[in-house]
Amino acid sequence: MQKNFLVLVCFLTSFIGLILIYIAAINLEPKQIKLKDITPELVGRSVLTTGEIVYKKSHVAGHLFLTISDEDTKIQVPLFAGFMNTLKEVDLTEDDFELGTKISVSGLIDEYQGQLQITPRRKDDIKILSD
Amino acid sequence: MILESVLLVFVGMGIGVFAGLTPGIHVNTTIPIIMSLSFLLPSPYYLAVLVVSVAVTEMFIDYIPSIFLGAPEADTSLSVLPGHRLLLEGRGYEAIKLTILGGVGTLLVSLVFIALIAGSFQYLYEITRPFVQYLIMGVMLFMIVTEKKLKKMLSSILILSITGLFGVLVLNSSLVPAQEVLFPSLTGLFGLSTLIVSIFERSSIPKQKEDSRMLISKKEIVKSLILASIAGIVVGFLPAVGISEAGVMAQYLGGSGESRSFLVTVSGINVANDVFSLVSVFLVGNARSGTSVAIQGILGELMLFDVLYLVGVIMLTAGIAAILTSYLGKTIPKYLEKVNYKILIISVIIFITGLVLFLTNPLGLLILFTSTSLGLLCNFLEIRRSHCMGILLIPSLLFFTGLNGTVLLILGI
Repeated sequence: MQKNFLVLVCFLTSFIGLILIYIAAINLEPKQIKLKDITPELVGRSVLTTGEIVYKKSHVAGHLFLTISDEDTKIQVPLFAGFMNTLKEVDLTEDDFELGTKISVSGLIDEYQGQLQITPRRKDDIKILSD
Repeated sequence: MILESVLLVFVGMGIGVFAGLTPGIHVNTTIPIIMSLSFLLPSPYYLAVLVVSVAVTEMFIDYIPSIFLGAPEADTSLSVLPGHRLLLEGRGYEAIKLTILGGVGTLLVSLVFIALIAGSFQYLYEITRPFVQYLIMGVMLFMIVTEKKLKKMLSSILILSITGLFGVLVLNSSLVPAQEVLFPSLTGLFGLSTLIVSIFERSSIPKQKEDSRMLISKKEIVKSLILASIAGIVVGFLPAVGISEAGVMAQYLGGSGESRSFLVTVSGINVANDVFSLVSVFLVGNARSGTSVAIQGILGELMLFDVLYLVGVIMLTAGIAAILTSYLGKTIPKYLEKVNYKILIISVIIFITGLVLFLTNPLGLLILFTSTSLGLLCNFLEIRRSHCMGILLIPSLLFFTGLNGTVLLILGI
């Protein structure tokens, strides 16, 4: 009886904790992280960062591959064709991503061929900060 | 340069002992503080030596608060339960010796392994990555099935699912700084929940046995060291797989479920991963851990001489840290036996809670509260606490199956 009560109490407190964490998670603005603090230990996690576009390459399939830099750290930002189409909803096209433009990117950290990259998922995940 | 390096190793060890004995302080918390003092050192090599010696010393000393106080940091969280079990049998010193054996033994074995496969890291990465999700699924299935009774199997599915959801939420939101999120999460699941249960179950630490033998067969030692070396290296080249996940996989797939062999394995994984991370900066220019990121930041591109030099520093530090850990592991319990256990544990709980607040924010306390409740739930359901590793296994599984983004979109994060 006592054990069942303890299980119930722990289940309820865990459940309430999860609900509160979820509410906080969906309402909190992502905190900005510096490019130099993005390490392989953060692969699979969602982050927000800013940087200047130092490399840009278009692919025939409609993808756009950017590299952003902050002082001496660089990270790749692949914008796949499907994502480029959704960016049109916020009036962003390939031409807006010029070299030297400062952008903020929110997305999942991944690793491709040994290089870290941030992959944005939603149209609001990428913003032009300055030309 | 040699004399200065040896001197700095001792300075680093002093810092490492202090940080290691303080519950909850991870090496990734210590290193930025050391880096901020770089202006005091005339050469980047000296700073690199200092960072490596602090990191290696912490790796050994961290097990003392983890085993004697049940107060781990992220990389030692899995050692709490087997370590605490041996402590309650009066064999806390043996538990410490097993972690030393794992650390030093794996250091030697992993260096041989790394030398053997040095040329094929990229190939190994490419052939293993597509299968990682099946490995994780296999481990979770094994975890569930080995509970044997239907009720317990259902309980383990429940815990894996809830802790998995908890992991997805805390790892992908900005509730607390990304570098610190594992501290309140794993401390609650494995540390605080254990301490709370033990407050109600005992009033003192049992008298520790003078007997310093390690009750583990040579065959088990060799198996654990090889397993730890492989798992530590695998953690090094696979993204999104951490030391704790590798520990769980080694426990279930490698058959190191027994407390003693598990302590050797989990300690060894830590060391193998750190050595491999350092070597991979040289081989593929890719830093894989907090320490190796710092080393890459200090020295830039590593030459063969740098690697050999730093491996020498690791070996020197590990040798002295092993002796120091053994001494502290024998001395500290004598003092703990005289202290009122309940007051000690309550003090540790208050300290950890304060540290979470200091390192994170009030939302860190919410994470600590929830993770402690989940750890207690697992305890009262009478299933193995390793099911709480759903916090890392489920997010890793989502990452490798490519479902991470979709799940986050559904959750609106």
